[in-house]
Amino acid sequence: MKKPSREPVDLLPLTPAVLHIMLALVDGERHGYSIMQEVANRSGGKVRMGPGTLYGSIKRMMADGLIEESDARPDPALDDERRRYYRLTGFGQRVVRAEILRMEQIVQLARHLTVNQESMGGAL
Amino acid sequence: MSDLTPDQSFSAQLYRLLLFCYPASFRRAYMTEMMQAFRDCYREFMHHQSRWSLLRFWQLMLGDLAISLVVEYKRVVITWLKHPLEERQIQMAMNITFAQRTDIGLKRDLNEDSMMSFLPDDARQLQEKGALFVVADGLGGHSDGELASQLAVNTVKEVYYQDDAGDRAEALRRAVLAANERIQQQNLAKSSQPSEWTMGTTCVAVVLLEDTAYVANVGDSRAYIARGDEMRQITRDHSVVADELRAGIITKEQVKDHPQRNVIYRCLGEETVEVDIFTEGVQEGDKLLLCTDGLCVLVDDDELRSIVQRYDIQESVQRLIDRANELGGPDNITAVVAQVA
Repeated sequence: MKKPSREPVDLLPLTPAVLHIMLALVDGERHGYSIMQEVANRSGGKVRMGPGTLYGSIKRMMADGLIEESDARPDPALDDERRRYYRLTGFGQRVVRAEILRMEQIVQLARHLTVNQESMGGAL
Repeated sequence: MSDLTPDQSFSAQLYRLLLFCYPASFRRAYMTEMMQAFRDCYREFMHHQSRWSLLRFWQLMLGDLAISLVVEYKRVVITWLKHPLEERQIQMAMNITFAQRTDIGLKRDLNEDSMMSFLPDDARQLQEKGALFVVADGLGGHSDGELASQLAVNTVKEVYYQDDAGDRAEALRRAVLAANERIQQQNLAKSSQPSEWTMGTTCVAVVLLEDTAYVANVGDSRAYIARGDEMRQITRDHSVVADELRAGIITKEQVKDHPQRNVIYRCLGEETVEVDIFTEGVQEGDKLLLCTDGLCVLVDDDELRSIVQRYDIQESVQRLIDRANELGGPDNITAVVAQVA
């Protein structure tokens, strides 16, 4: 029953599971198993998320306002009506962008430091 | 599931039992979906038909179970430690208030809307099954519509609170399906032709339990959630105009004069019916509005929002009804507002 934080940076850094789920939802809504498949596919099978981690993360992401349930059924004929679909909220999209920016800054810093190290090593 | 192999059936039974290790609130919200994901995963792993498939599959599932159990219980403990005892008791008692009102409107001879708000007196029942709110808009000649909508709200309540299955969303779905069956039986008993349809009803039902609202919907009555300055429709109308509006065929302004504005393509009383289920996280201060189309067709979303936000719940329902009547009151009007405090 807590009030959600409305500033994206307050939620950073995201846990790996939350980030993977958000990236799986960037290009559209998906149901739980479809998120699991997408995460596995995008990581070349290296990251496999089980139902407990997935729905634990979904519960907290819904409470934080990062994702919401969608009422659309992309293919009603093929689909089981009990499946719930999830999508990023506007706030969730801002959070995932802020997280990517944060990671970029770390990567830049790391590159900068290692390049400096190498050039110093070369000078010695 | 029609294609269950004995192995899968055994694995699924075992996993279902293991899910009982999770905290009850988590299980209630996600058990059905987790079982579905489990079965999908099982099929994917077995598709490779390697002798190690089953082992690798269970390795993933048990590893996931162990890690997520630690995370879920850690959260439970942190929540308990954060809240002082008195606050915890209040939270467990679920402080929900509600107001409800129905009105015949200015043009109809009968009020065919029905509504029901139920907060169990028994604290244990409230804690396990939550509070229930149902609104139904009956359709049919003479007093048939009234009968159908009453049958719907009563059956949903009766069946929902008798259902002891863990998953509350599924229990609510089953309750709405049971209402459909009862109304259909009445239809069959009354008409000489099996296909002849005499009555039906819309039905929107909301269960408020802990930090979640479970919403079931058939037809064009609505549920909204209001938080802070925002209010959003949770349900999706099963009406011709709503579909055309979503598809961009007509504009909002064209809805009121549309020749098929009253046509819905899903209602209770049919041979089969599909029930939409939504789950919404709720927070302290949130309000939920349930209403029939006699209100929301006339009063636009902005005005609904401003009334619900501005006034306390008792005054809100009265003002909502009054506003619909000011705008002509062509249909029966029903509004239920519930607040989580």
